[in-house]
Amino acid sequence: MTIRGIGLITVLAAIALAPAASVTAVAQNKAWTAPRTPDGKPDLQGIWSYATITPLERPAEFAGKEFLSEQEAADYEKRRLQEMNMDRRDGTAQADVTRAYNDFWWDRGTKVVSTRRTSLVVDPPDGRIPPLTEEARTRTAARAEERRRSGRGPTDGPEDRPLGERCIMFGSGGAPMLPGAYNNNFQLVQTPDQVAIVIEMIHDARIVPLDARPPLPKNVRQYHGDSRGHWEGDTLVVVTTNFTDKTNFRGSSENLRLTERFTRVAEDTLLYRFTVEDPSSFPRPWTVEIPMWRSREPIYEYACHEGNSSIAGVLAGARAEEKAAAGAGR
Amino acid sequence: MRGTTGIALTVGTVLVVATMAAMPLWAHHAFTAEFDSNKPVKLRGVVTKVELINPHSWIHIDVKEPDGKVVSWAIEGGTPNTLFRMGITKNSLPTGTEILVDGYQAKDGSRRANGRDVTLPDGKKVFISGASAAEAPPQQ
Repeated sequence: MTIRGIGLITVLAAIALAPAASVTAVAQNKAWTAPRTPDGKPDLQGIWSYATITPLERPAEFAGKEFLSEQEAADYEKRRLQEMNMDRRDGTAQADVTRAYNDFWWDRGTKVVSTRRTSLVVDPPDGRIPPLTEEARTRTAARAEERRRSGRGPTDGPEDRPLGERCIMFGSGGAPMLPGAYNNNFQLVQTPDQVAIVIEMIHDARIVPLDARPPLPKNVRQYHGDSRGHWEGDTLVVVTTNFTDKTNFRGSSENLRLTERFTRVAEDTLLYRFTVEDPSSFPRPWTVEIPMWRSREPIYEYACHEGNSSIAGVLAGARAEEKAAAGAGR
Repeated sequence: MRGTTGIALTVGTVLVVATMAAMPLWAHHAFTAEFDSNKPVKLRGVVTKVELINPHSWIHIDVKEPDGKVVSWAIEGGTPNTLFRMGITKNSLPTGTEILVDGYQAKDGSRRANGRDVTLPDGKKVFISGASAAEAPPQQ
């Protein structure tokens, strides 16, 4: 690794350890300063990728270990790529169908994050999402019971299918953004009073006002929530509330308060951190960090609904299974 | 059509596993809901149309059955966005190209299958996996 590489990792590590308020100080203490937009704000614009094979939560094998060495990272990447390799034709027919197409079609990245952290979760220090509260577990159970009583099965109609399958929204696109199987890219566009966060996955755009306007009334709920942005030094902070009860992020409720922080810490590195706060679901807040890297390519349209013949295939598959089951029971 | 050997349909053993250790991160839909692991298919046909649409692309092929009858199959692939990054476009698989498809048929018995492996008659993979074009740059 070059001296510059060590420097970057040191900066990222320092930022990670420092309280949010001192991010600016840490970043600015280094020689590098983010270029500015015409109105003098740090220029975060561009297309950024968050493809990585670093897991969200720290695997048991790395318990107590926050960072990988260069060699450990290389070994981990090699092993994970082999495990995830869709070209493999070993295993059961079920597993083979699950892999669906060969590796060419998947684009989840091949590297761990540049900080070589063992998990994307950086707080709690064990790198694991805090276990759901009793209230959250009760809520989930109540919903399952309500659903059971309604008499609707999981494949009765399109409305019974997950939001992603229906091309309404994808878990990985956010808010917040998390690495998924492909389309791990977003574009950030700035104006003096608004920021646009355009996600490649399902082609969603969040338009974030920076003018300190009041949030939407509490009774207005949106799938992607309602975002408001402001600057804290060189960091763009986006706070999102007003989520619906139709979505949840790792078990969160509509009371989720999501705080995302975007800091350009190097020419080609956008440090993305978000904190999940929802006392009704998690006993404590938790934070994820992803050093995103600048993509040299455009993002492409992902007009999901328009070409979604898969949902018809899924429902047709369910009808065929019912027919077969009825025939077998006769 | 060149060298068509028709369609071979083989039925494999079902081994139901409770959990899928190899489950990918997040894909658009559960492939096991649409395609039948009991209906593996090997198809040989010529490309009639390529639809690079989201969320899944479709390759349409004409397959000559043993009795000489030509039937159309639709083969499902992944998102075109990944293909673009790898330099694949609609013209990469021209109409008339002969391909072999190794996949699984749709559960409803229609002539749709997932393109688990798509190869040319010489065995070369049409979509060759390797380092992604969207790869992270080396650490600076």
